Amino acid sequence: MSEGHPRYDVVIGLEVHAQLCTESKLFSPAPVAYGEPANHCVHPICLGLPGVLPVLNARAVEFAILAGLATHCTVQLHSVFARKNYFYPDLPKGYQISQYEEPICTEGWIDVVVEPGAAPRRIRLTRIHMEEDAGKLIHEAGAAGSDGTRVDLNRAGVPLLEIVSEPDLRSPSEAAAYLRTLRGILRYIGVSDADLEKGHFRCDANVSLKPRGTAELGTRTELKNLNSFRFVEEAISAEIARQAELHDEGTPVQQATMAYDPHTSRTRVLRLKENADDYRYFPDPDLVPLAISAEQIETARASLPELADAKCARFQSQYALTAQDAEQLTESRPLADYFEAAVAAYGLAKPVANWLLRDVLQALGELELGIEAARLAPESLAALIRLVDAGSTNAKSARGLVKELVANGGDPAALVHERGLEALSDSGELEAAVEAVLGEHPDDAEKFRAGEKKVLNFLMGQVMRRTAGKADPKAVRELLARKLGA
Amino acid sequence: MARISRQEVEHVAALARLVLEESEAERAVGELEALLDYAALLESVDTEGVPPTSHVLALATPMRDDTASESLEPESALANAPEREGSAFVVPRVIDDEDAG
Amino acid sequence: MSAPPPLVGLSELRAELDAGRTSSAQLVDRALERAEALQPRLRSFIGLRGESARAEAEQADARRLRGDPRSALDGIPVAIKDNMVQRGEPTTCGSRILEGFVSPYSSTLVEKLEAAGAVIIGRTNMDEFAMGSSTEHSTLGASSNPWDVSRTAGGSSGGSAVAVAAGIVPAAFGSDTGGSIRQPASFCGVVGMKPTYGRVSRWGLVAFASSLDQIGVFARDARDAALLLELISGHDPRDSTSAPEPAPDLRASLDGDVSGLVLGVPREYFVSDGVDPEVLARVHAAIAELEAAGAKLREVSLPHTYTAVATYYLLATAEASSNLARYDGVRYGRRAEGAQSLGDMYVRSRTEGFGAEVKRRILLGTYVLSAGYYDAYYRKAQQVRTLLRRDFDEAFAGCDVIVTPTSPEVAFSLGSRTEDPLRMYLSDVYTVSCNLAGLPGVSLPCGFSDGMPVGLQLLGPPLEEGRLLRVADAFQRRTGFHSERPPELA
Repeated sequence: MSEGHPRYDVVIGLEVHAQLCTESKLFSPAPVAYGEPANHCVHPICLGLPGVLPVLNARAVEFAILAGLATHCTVQLHSVFARKNYFYPDLPKGYQISQYEEPICTEGWIDVVVEPGAAPRRIRLTRIHMEEDAGKLIHEAGAAGSDGTRVDLNRAGVPLLEIVSEPDLRSPSEAAAYLRTLRGILRYIGVSDADLEKGHFRCDANVSLKPRGTAELGTRTELKNLNSFRFVEEAISAEIARQAELHDEGTPVQQATMAYDPHTSRTRVLRLKENADDYRYFPDPDLVPLAISAEQIETARASLPELADAKCARFQSQYALTAQDAEQLTESRPLADYFEAAVAAYGLAKPVANWLLRDVLQALGELELGIEAARLAPESLAALIRLVDAGSTNAKSARGLVKELVANGGDPAALVHERGLEALSDSGELEAAVEAVLGEHPDDAEKFRAGEKKVLNFLMGQVMRRTAGKADPKAVRELLARKLGA
Repeated sequence: MARISRQEVEHVAALARLVLEESEAERAVGELEALLDYAALLESVDTEGVPPTSHVLALATPMRDDTASESLEPESALANAPEREGSAFVVPRVIDDEDAG
Repeated sequence: MSAPPPLVGLSELRAELDAGRTSSAQLVDRALERAEALQPRLRSFIGLRGESARAEAEQADARRLRGDPRSALDGIPVAIKDNMVQRGEPTTCGSRILEGFVSPYSSTLVEKLEAAGAVIIGRTNMDEFAMGSSTEHSTLGASSNPWDVSRTAGGSSGGSAVAVAAGIVPAAFGSDTGGSIRQPASFCGVVGMKPTYGRVSRWGLVAFASSLDQIGVFARDARDAALLLELISGHDPRDSTSAPEPAPDLRASLDGDVSGLVLGVPREYFVSDGVDPEVLARVHAAIAELEAAGAKLREVSLPHTYTAVATYYLLATAEASSNLARYDGVRYGRRAEGAQSLGDMYVRSRTEGFGAEVKRRILLGTYVLSAGYYDAYYRKAQQVRTLLRRDFDEAFAGCDVIVTPTSPEVAFSLGSRTEDPLRMYLSDVYTVSCNLAGLPGVSLPCGFSDGMPVGLQLLGPPLEEGRLLRVADAFQRRTGFHSERPPELA
């Protein structure tokens, strides 16, 4: 946990850019794809060719409405797209179409659990607006060895939500928890994959300090492009330390854009904001204002899925799960859905939670797969657990099959049979094995009868070895006890 | 009354990524001054409570379905490029965060 | 090279084609040869499509012989302004900054023309990025007026106006942001129509000021204009500002009957101050002619007219400053040689690529939008724009069509205005309100002053192009001004 600061109050506001998972771009029908060769997902609109015009993607608007509703924002019936004017080679038109004075969503909040079990903190959102992404600049020298910068416009025009928080966050760990919660919400409602590695979820942080207990806000700096939760915490911690040092020295903090260097664990000034940027925002004359009907908002509200915090509370009460299990199971919607499907098939929650959180997640981790990619259906997981319950195989054997079932699917019972992993509980084979072990170890049998009860464990181990682990330990224990006349 | 200074004209030119020669800058100050002086006649118009017009159309936002088209052929996309490498446009080396928005 | 005879109106050419007296190939040849022969005197074309146009003409002939023409325009040579992109063809907007640019896509206008079988013979001269009233701000140099080559053709769509006035093509297309179709039509003695904002798709029209730009037509008479406008109108899902209206049936309204129609005469447009009295006299005579045809006259008031030019220049330059930011030398167009850094490349490409007038307007527009001035200039102008629209709403409550001069003067001498931008801007006084209010407007020849054509402007409520053309057609049925031809080119 990275805390605030002992002598200063820390004030943090976050701006998140989340990529919406649409098929096509915000104002262009060009496909949205990741990892394609440069300029292979472009349309004349994305290139800013002379004469092109934007037309708004309806699904991006639906997604923005859902995001607003899921974060308790007011969805505005009237909002306006504005041009933000600046020159940069990744910005083909010389302006970005964004929303400025009249964004689509305003004034929301989300509850953030910073420490498991602690009361959540309510973090207010200032606004959510829609905008188009810029392209990508590639600075490394290309194959042909030119020393210029290469420009790839595949990403230019991809729809983004910019989600701006109030400066309500008080520590780096709160900032990270806020981001995790926000990402969870966007994934839950299915509007963004929010994959940090692919740049689907990018964060800028505004950080300032003020002496503990005072009201006046300090000068803030902006940390740009924090692309992992760990970096967010580290970068904000480093920036707090830097600002605290300046405050201690009595040196004023300058308003600046900062970058975080993970190698040195320090922040450095990218540029000072002496001359305020002049983006010359004005309403985009190529787009009429966005009108959303109250019915459209209600339809979206009705389609909103149960969100993680509500689901987590329900899992605890409905399935009698621990807070920790419930939180883990509701981290992603597909996992929660999987859990509920498996419970429906099996009947009891706790064993499903155990199997899922322990064995299935471990297998997925080893296979580097998400739960959506698991070929072990929830019904099959239920069937596998039932095989153990019925003593048809033992738990250890069953666990050993989870990875294979997750990777390849198939019928658990058939696989148990195919591998010869049926438990020996009912067969004469088990009895023969017990007899043989007792015959080989008469001294130990005697010790047991003399009251040295722990010898039973040794004898059990011998039986298990003899049966190559296929015996049901419960059955072995019962049989041994009976033979020994206990 | 001077409505615009030489310094402001140069600031605006920089924003627009234009550079003015010495003689041009003086001339531009004069021309912009004259145009702004003329435009000052709007100051006398009472616009209290008048909504601005950005669009003459009383339209709801048209939207399109989220259906992706084929990409432009890369060769067409790059055909007008002043400089390219592979399928990327090339610009003079961008120094860390230069000019960024 | 001696020029072949002029091409007359659309209906005559259609009749000759249908009767087999000529072929599309012959017409296109004639148009191309005439364009080339007149080019040294008129400079009406920036580029001609000789080979492709001839090939398309042959295909049109084959369709006609099969009895399968695509439209009334099939096989007819036409011209487009050099700010409407056509796939595989250059577009320069009269600017150095677009030198060498070849468009990988077509404008909706071009698609519609191609679908109709029209043969685009070339791209016409214009003021750079449509900013100007004389085509003097074109890299090509100014077009000359066919009625007097020492005078301007008007602008910015001067080349298109000349191409029709000089009989090179029977129809040409232009764009009108503050009068850029109507004023050159007036100066050159042809019909020029700017439709309602949103009537014709702007997809593929290189933007000057997006909330004001509109594509329109040049033709010899109202009947031809109606046919052309029907063909290029209609909703386009690629343009978010396209009116959700089907293409209108305009020819049906050309019945010659204006009896009972109320013509509004705005008193603010008929002040003698700064207006050529001969122009006023011709316009008054034209109004009297329409009255004789049965129209009623009513004086109306457009009290905010005096604010229109200032409002127009603030809004148009603000939008332009943003629209022209894409010309940065990165993806297409001119890039300055030998730039040492990105910043250097931007500044030099743009400074070398844009002409003086465009730079002047970019500076003004950037200033208008910049921090601290937005409310005083841009927002204020948007509010006044609302008042200008309301003026028209109130005026049209009491009349059907508003009649005005198109320009306060006839074509001026080339070179006489370039030193005084404000004076040049002020000559747009009669045309800019129409764009600010998004109304349809047409200019038609109504007489001569000093041997030069005078234009009558008709303005109508939104989507009432048919009403305007009905009045224009009725006027042309009673007068012969539209049939007059420039003497030395006749």
